[in-house]
Amino acid sequence: MSDLAALVVQQSLNGVYLGCLYVMVALGLTLIYGVLNQINFAHADFVTVGAFTAFFTATRFATKLLGLPDAAGYLLSIIAATGMGALLGVAINAAVFAPLRERGDELRPLIATIGVSVLLENAQLALFGPIPYQFDSPFARETIRVGRIFFSEQSALVVCVSAAAIAALYAWLRFTFLGKALRAVAQDRETAGLMGINPGLLIGLTIVIASALAGMAGALLGPVLVLSPFAGASVIVKAFAIVIIGGFGNLQGTIIAGILVGIIEAFTVQYLGSGLIDLVVFVLLLAMLVVRPTGLIAERKEENV
Amino acid sequence: MRRAGFFLGALIIIAALPWLISTPYWRGILVLCAMNVLLALSLNLVMGYTGQLNLGQSAFYAIGAYVSTILIKTYHWNFWLAGLAAIVAAGFLGLALAAFAARLRGHYLAIASLGFAVITYQVLVNWESVTEGVRGIYGISSPVRGTVPLFYLVAGIALVVYALMDNLVRSPVGDTLRAIREDEVSAASLGVNGAIWKAFAFGVCAAIAGLAGCFYPGFVGTLVPDAFNIVESFTMLAMVIVGGIGTMIGPVIGAVVLTFLPELLRGFGELRLMIYGVALTLVVLFLPGGIASCFKRRA
Repeated sequence: MSDLAALVVQQSLNGVYLGCLYVMVALGLTLIYGVLNQINFAHADFVTVGAFTAFFTATRFATKLLGLPDAAGYLLSIIAATGMGALLGVAINAAVFAPLRERGDELRPLIATIGVSVLLENAQLALFGPIPYQFDSPFARETIRVGRIFFSEQSALVVCVSAAAIAALYAWLRFTFLGKALRAVAQDRETAGLMGINPGLLIGLTIVIASALAGMAGALLGPVLVLSPFAGASVIVKAFAIVIIGGFGNLQGTIIAGILVGIIEAFTVQYLGSGLIDLVVFVLLLAMLVVRPTGLIAERKEENV
Repeated sequence: MRRAGFFLGALIIIAALPWLISTPYWRGILVLCAMNVLLALSLNLVMGYTGQLNLGQSAFYAIGAYVSTILIKTYHWNFWLAGLAAIVAAGFLGLALAAFAARLRGHYLAIASLGFAVITYQVLVNWESVTEGVRGIYGISSPVRGTVPLFYLVAGIALVVYALMDNLVRSPVGDTLRAIREDEVSAASLGVNGAIWKAFAFGVCAAIAGLAGCFYPGFVGTLVPDAFNIVESFTMLAMVIVGGIGTMIGPVIGAVVLTFLPELLRGFGELRLMIYGVALTLVVLFLPGGIASCFKRRA
């Protein structure tokens, strides 16, 4: 394999790994948008809370208290972070989305979630302080080598866990009754209600699933991030870009766009330097909006006059 | 007559404030507050009256601040001339965003405008030969000497902008903008060219934000990109919503409350911004029309 080919394959793999992390963050945003037409700005902080939950589970609870090996501790921490995300989802649904749902405007829930975001960031600041934590994943120590391509066990684990989570979500939406009901609510809330589906319950469930995904994303991102109370904010703007590039509310679009942005980021770091990542991603986003204002896969919605 | 009384009252309050508040620290907050009033007023024109989500206000503010400062420091322009250039530059950036607004709706526009804020911030950080990047620009002098004259200057401008905008939204132009907010397709069927009027609203909004930006560097004395982080856009948005979107007085109330609230809460230490976050959420939940709606009901 030539040097260039090896480099391209290596960076593409890095890109897919980064892309999986972004997809995990962006999926929750797109899920909520799909059924509720709302943006949850506190999503970033759910990711941060997930990362902190994973950190303390892995480094304190699992290994020190339970005496588990490091690897098992990290796997357990992913589960704990997912659970914590789900809890936050229950809370934000009860406090913000459920009360504001019926008023049907897009601005106020946005501001309310910004308020929640400020609260969560500063609560974490009070609890954990501003100094970043070092979250070492036990899987990051080992490197797998195939020919001239290197990747860490951690990146393989991230890709596997994200793929499993996405597959499970897909199967659930496609094949179960609840999943079908959820798609019905996303398509037409009122008609779904008339068919005996409880839209409020299903919307709540969606928010909980989306938030659980954010928690899980936090556990996977933890070892990559500079783990401070504001860590999620660094990822979330990119997640917004991904959600738009993919087409708001569209799962396939989000997954494709997430992987794409990951690969673009890997090559930007290689050729232009890491300081320019956000610039490149958002210039591409705006360029894309000029060409296809509805995202890669358009949201199918007719305008009523 | 009532309006004349209102403006006279506002003038008296502005004139009296620096005498009521005498510590230098709180007088500084007053200047900040006047700038925030300008930012919230202009954002309200786009969001409240034209109904376009805009999360990019911090970009226009930043352009105003950086263009004026660079022209003064590097090219030795006169402050007022540099300020004018900065307003024009910010206005043109607003027109660029309006080009997107012509095609995008709702949250797509929100994220596109967020993109403007992110790109502007990143350019300020990375274009070090011009903006000095994160090191920042130091030793920027104010157009007028002292905090009180600066407050009178910015607050006076804010009052003039308020008066002009108040007339604008009650004119047929205001009706046109509201028609676009309520239903763009129906407005188009009545002969309203949505793209042109959105460009007008975004252009004016950005130019006023740029105007506010001209005064910021002189007031603080230094200029760093972090002052225009995208979070600032959210704060400006919150001022409009908390005060009362789509009303003239609402953004003013919102700007005053959200500038002073975090300062008044300083005694609570670490709890300060947590209380701020909770208050923001509670206002939205229980006062959907913003603080301005309380006064309306009573009157």
